Order: sequence, then structure tokens, then C-alpha cells
Amino acid sequence: MVFAARWLQALIGPDLVRWGLAARHRGTPLGDYYRVDTPTIREPWDEVGFLAVDLETTGLDPRADAIASIGWVPVTGGGIVLAEARRHLVKVSGPMPESSAVLHGILDDQAEAAPDLADVMPEFLQALKGRVPVAHHAASERGFLDAACGRLYGAPLVVPYVDTLALEGRLRQRRGEVLTPGSLRLDACRQRYNLPRYRAHDALVDALACAELLLAQVAHMNKAGRMDGSHAIRLEHLLT
Amino acid sequence: MTVEILEIRDFIAARHPFDLLPENELATLSAAITVRYLRRDSVLMEPGDNVDALSLVRSGALETITPEGALLARLGEGEAGGVRALLRGGRAVNRIVAIEDALLYQLPAEHFHRLRDAYPSFAYFFAPHAGDRLRGVRGGSDTLGLTTRRVGELISREPVTVTPTTTVQDAAAIMSNAGISCLLVVEDEVLCGIVTDRDLRSRVVAAGLDITQPVSAIMSSPPLSVQATDWLFEAMLTLSRHNIHHLPVVRDGKPMGVVTTTDLLRTQTRSVVFLASDIHRRTTAEGIRDTLIHIPDLVNELVEAGASARSVGNAITALADAATQRLIQLAEQDMGPAPVPYCWIACGSQARFEQTARSDQDNCLVISDDYRAEEHGAWFKEFTTRVCRGLDIAGYVLCPGEMMAMTDQWRQPLDQWKRYFRRWIGQPEPKALMLSSVFFDMRPIAGNSTLFNELHDEVLTRAKGARIFLAHLTSNALTHQPPLGFFRNFVLISGGDHDKTLDLKHSGIVPIVDLARIYALDSGHPAINTYERLEVAREAGKISKQGADDLIDALEFLGLVRLRHQARQIREGARADNYVPPSELSGFERSHLKDAFAVVKSMQGAATTTYRGGMG
Repeated sequence: MVFAARWLQALIGPDLVRWGLAARHRGTPLGDYYRVDTPTIREPWDEVGFLAVDLETTGLDPRADAIASIGWVPVTGGGIVLAEARRHLVKVSGPMPESSAVLHGILDDQAEAAPDLADVMPEFLQALKGRVPVAHHAASERGFLDAACGRLYGAPLVVPYVDTLALEGRLRQRRGEVLTPGSLRLDACRQRYNLPRYRAHDALVDALACAELLLAQVAHMNKAGRMDGSHAIRLEHLLT
Repeated sequence: MTVEILEIRDFIAARHPFDLLPENELATLSAAITVRYLRRDSVLMEPGDNVDALSLVRSGALETITPEGALLARLGEGEAGGVRALLRGGRAVNRIVAIEDALLYQLPAEHFHRLRDAYPSFAYFFAPHAGDRLRGVRGGSDTLGLTTRRVGELISREPVTVTPTTTVQDAAAIMSNAGISCLLVVEDEVLCGIVTDRDLRSRVVAAGLDITQPVSAIMSSPPLSVQATDWLFEAMLTLSRHNIHHLPVVRDGKPMGVVTTTDLLRTQTRSVVFLASDIHRRTTAEGIRDTLIHIPDLVNELVEAGASARSVGNAITALADAATQRLIQLAEQDMGPAPVPYCWIACGSQARFEQTARSDQDNCLVISDDYRAEEHGAWFKEFTTRVCRGLDIAGYVLCPGEMMAMTDQWRQPLDQWKRYFRRWIGQPEPKALMLSSVFFDMRPIAGNSTLFNELHDEVLTRAKGARIFLAHLTSNALTHQPPLGFFRNFVLISGGDHDKTLDLKHSGIVPIVDLARIYALDSGHPAINTYERLEVAREAGKISKQGADDLIDALEFLGLVRLRHQARQIREGARADNYVPPSELSGFERSHLKDAFAVVKSMQGAATTTYRGGMG
């Protein structure tokens, strides 16, 4: 089923696929999600709703590893709306691998007491409705969220992502800069835009950090002389 | 359910005035924020724009520019832009532009207004008028009460009085029964003498006096006294100056009680009173220096006790007065009495009761017109040299400008002094006036105060309404301009330049002192202390009530910041100075200093209009 949808998407485009998925999965959180269209790529960026999202996971493989926490914050009208920021720990079966426990500061008993992913995903999909997800190195979020939807609802999460890492690479290559290893890491990118250094690293702070980076990137795309005015940048310029 | 982002909450909570808000408000606030990014050179608002949020700088910097193009402020991390717009109903007044890539936390206008309504201390910070904000921070409550409490408040019991014909024995019995150490002698409700334990000992027992004699034979008459409406520090000065322990207090000519050294000690002024009386026991300049060496510690204590800058000035100056008086006494004991009357006059900060440490000495001597140089010159030269050198040893170093009684020019008969002032006021020259302005702050310290009064009356009469003279004084007062404010760890100067340190004295205190002098001279009022001068100028209508109150509050705040800075230097074993690096200032201090500068600047402008017809 998941593979069929992928094949269909490639053939007829995402909107029809979403429509089909909405019809097929009516009544489930994912079906509800699909009933609302994502913005078209020609829309000015500040009229597009974005949702910066970050996951903390137990490993790198979406099929074998689990989501341990999720954080998100919307970007609306060119600003980050903290009122709708959320952070959830997610119950992980089995002990947290030591390396990631250290990395994220999530302890086993905290993860034990957390809700199941099935209880968190509906709220996330509700927040994502009509919005474009944004992540730094979006492949990871895309893979884990898609896999989660596949497991929970038997359907993929078909949505275009804005990847601030890929965007940064493209912007800098266009300016003729040579990319060095590590120079596209979130903290390194933020420093170049005079964004503050955050001490804590949890899913929400990283989602916020990513959202701020997006604002900075857009502001500097204007400077690069793409076009004048705030409406000059459209969603298509941010997708990679 | 909203979640709290600690990175944001902590940032806001650490910034003044948000640090005044309770925890729950901080949580509500950080959840209400919209985060925006402003690229360098892009505009946050133009005059006339609708503004619906306060913009707190999280990183980067903004600049506020008037519609005329003048730099108004630079806002760094933690500072807020758009305040004036929000206070003007959401309409931008100035242009705000990013001078560095900036991340902004925008607080919706409705939250801003709600918090201002709910928390007066928060509202103070954003009050549209700088003076209103300073009003709220007149910190340094005068716990010593030296300048806020009047002598009358110390009087707890009716005075025990006797008539002059009471016998010494009866008087002693009355004192024993009442458990008191002094009696007031009253005739027809008028105070005519005082009898103390010490008098009974030295004038009766030691002298073998008949105890059936009337008390009038042993009383001190006429006694020194203070008015019930005098400030505590005035009583303190009288007690220490005359080395006595009991001082009758008079109201409407009638005795209402006695204030004692012990009463004053109880008001926590122990150190000051103790040091002052210690000075009067010393017999050499070196001895006095050993007493005065404690001044820095005393200042430190007073500041920590929460004393106001005004009362610290009074206390520290009282010690300079005591030192001067003691040195004069010692010189006269040694040299014999003066051949003709004189008056020793303190000038500058000592005259104004505004010393905060031992500083350069400024003084002069007015001698009776009976003075004959060939006959008396040698005595006065020797006398003034001894006192000035003594002050130098005691820590009040010789004035580099030689504004001292030991300088021939400034040790003159009354008539010559009148000629000096006639020239300064009648034919003012800017440069000469700048040098002599120290003489327009003068106060008699010892000798014949009639000489001082005659001179001072003449000066006040001539200076009052002397347009050209006042115009020149005003020009001089404008030589020191306050800075715009702060930007990060720099002092932001008009035009956009930066200084590394804030010169508290010349950027704020001196301009206020200069302005107050002009107002007082224009009013023809004898007040010398800057606070008092501003108060009388306010009563005389020479400045608006608001203008005077603003300047008084600004002076007090600047004075407190200076005292805290100096106390810190003293604790760290450094020499106290007037130069504060902005990194040493709290956000609270910075914003209120900025207000003080704004007050000074606006009052300088007002003085220019009044006294210079608008010419800068």
C-alpha cells in the first residue's frame, strides 16, 4: 500500500495522492490531515504556514529505531508563534541506548512514563494540517514520521519538506562558497546569521532553532537580490 | 496546553523591567511571543506605521532615529524597541532600523498594556517622561534620617525646667529624681540657660561653690540651641562643633526639649558623630588624618545602610568642616587670636555639602576692612598657610588651581572681595568666570560670619537678574553634555561615538550643580546646597515644579550610582573615582541613568532658552 502510494505520487503529483489518501483513510487522524491541502508552491513565503519539527530518536534507522521525543513550532506570517509550540516525550519499548540517552538527556523512567506515539501523532498531524514541515536535515524527520504513519495508519506521510540544511547548502554554493565538513550543522549555520547560541538541545529548542534559521535564510535571500519586497520569495524557492 | 521554552523565559526574566514580574506572568509572556528576524539595514518601523508589539532584542542590534534624522538610541541584547509607539496608541514616532542582523522577541501590545496596568513598577520603566521613572527609584531611603528627619522628632518628653533663682541643691535633686543629665533654665517661658551634670561637677563640687547659690550662677548662658524644624544633621554639627552633649530644642521661641549625643547615636549616625567628635579631640593635622582615614569605610557603611546620596554628602562634608574648624582652633591656640576679625569660608563641594570623599580643598578668607597688610599680613599669611597645609596633611590636598586661603589673592579684606565679585558679575569673561565659579558656592566655617553675610548679600543682590552674567554662567554650564545612553558595554555619545567608561561627575552631576547655581543666583536666594537650590528655584518659579523635581531625582540617582561605584572600589582596595565601566552597571541602573541624562539634557535646553535667548 505504501509503495503503491509512492508510485502514484510520482505519477500524478502530490495533491491527487493526498486527495486519494484522504478518501481512503477517512476517520483516522491521517485521513483528517489529508483533507486539508498544503499550500501551492507559488504562494509567497509569508503567506505559507510552516511547522518546524524536530525528533529525538533512539538511532538513525527509521525502520529499526524509535522516536523518543518530538517538538514543533509553527511559523506564520513570517514570525514564529510560540503559543503553539509543543514538546512531547514518547514511550520507547526497551531501554534507551546509552549513547542517545546521553545526547538527549532523556532518562529511561521518563521515557517509560511518556505517552505512546499513537497518542501523540494525532496532535502532531492536527498541527501540521495545511502547513509545510521544516527541519534541519529533513531526511531524518521525513523517514521517521513516514514510518510512524505507516505503522500507525497503514499509509505514508506525503508532504513536501523545507530542509534548512539543504537550503543553506544551496544558498552558499550559489554564492560560490566552498562547503567544509560540519559547516552546515545547525549551530554553525545559526552563528553565521547572528542567531543566539542555545545551551539546551531538546526537540522543541531544536525545532525553534530551525525555525529561526529559516527566517534568517529568507531575510538574506532578499538581500542576495533575488527580487525586491517581502512577497518576492515563494514557497518553491525554499523547497529543494 | 502551552509549553515553556526555558531558553526564552530565562532570557526575558533576566532583563529589567521583566525581572519585576512574577513567575506566572513570565510564563504567560514567553508563550505569547512571536519571534522575528530582521536583516541588517532593514526597517522595523517608520514614523506613522502601525505598531502592535514591543520588540525585545534577543541578538543583534537596532537603532532609533528621529524623523529629523538624529540618533536617539542604540538597542542591544535585552533592550526593547517600539515603546514610544505603543505608548502613542500604536503609532510609530521614530524610525527603527536593524544595524546588525537581529532576532526579535515580539510581545503583543495587549500584553504590554495589561502588564503596565497590573504592575506599577513595570509601568514605571516605560513611563513616557524620564523624570517619572526616576521618581520611582529615589532609592537609598535615608535610613540615617540625617536629612529626612527633623530635630523635633527626637524629642520624646517635656523638658524639665527650673527658674534662674532655683538653688543649685534643688536643681541637683530635681535632676536626680527625674533621672536626667541636664536642666533647662527658663524665665517667662524663654530659655535663658542650661545646667548639666558636668557643670555640677566642675562648677560646683570642684570649685567648692555654695550649694544654696541660684543655678544662674553656674548655668551656661545664653545656651546654644537648635530649632525643632532643623534637620538632624544640623543638630549633629552643632554638637560636634562645640564638643557638647546636650542641645536645647526650641519651637516658636519656647524650649520644647533637649537633644543629646546619645539621642543622635540612637539614630545610627554613630560613625559620623563619633568621627566628628574624635576630630575635635585631635591636636595635630596628622592626628586628624588618622581619624579621617576611616572616611572610605564610613561611606561604604552608609551606602550599605541605604543612605541617600544627599545625606552621605552631608555626613562626609560635616567631617571636612570639623577638620577645618579644629585646624583653625589649633592654629589660633598656637599663634594667639587674630589681630582683626576674619571669616574662613569653604568653597565648592564642601560649601554645598556635597563631598563624598576627601577631595581637593577649596577655601578663602575674608578679613575685616580694618586689616592693614603691613601690620596684620604676616599673621594671616602664617595662619592660612598652617590651616591649608594642615588640611593637606589631613587628606584634603592643596588645590591645584590655588583656590585657597593661603593664596594671597584669595586672602583679602571684605572690600577687595566685593570688588572681585563686582567684576565677575559686572564684566563677566567666560574663562575667568569658569575659574571663579567655585567662589559662587561659599559657606562660612569659622570666624566672624557677619563678614560672610555682608559679602554674600552683596553677591546675591548683584547677581540676581544680571542677564549677561547669567548668560555666561549658562554657557559654562553647557560645556558638559550628558551622553545619549548605553550600547552594550559602551557609553553612547550624541552623534554615535562610543566611550569605554561613563564619567558620572561630568556627564551628569556637574551639569546639574551648574544649573542649580544659575537658578539660585537668578532667584537671589542664599541656598548653596544643590538640592536646596533646586527647591528654592522651584518655589521662586525659576524652573517648573516638574523640572526641579526631575533634576533633584536625577542628582540623587547619579549620586547613588557614584557612591555604589566608589564603595565597590574601596572594598576592592582601589582608589575611588568617577569613572564607571558600563559593564559594571545593572540593566536597572543603565535605564535610569539614561533617564537622568534625558532630564539633564532637557533642562540644559530650557536654561539655554531662558538665559541665552535660545542661543546654544
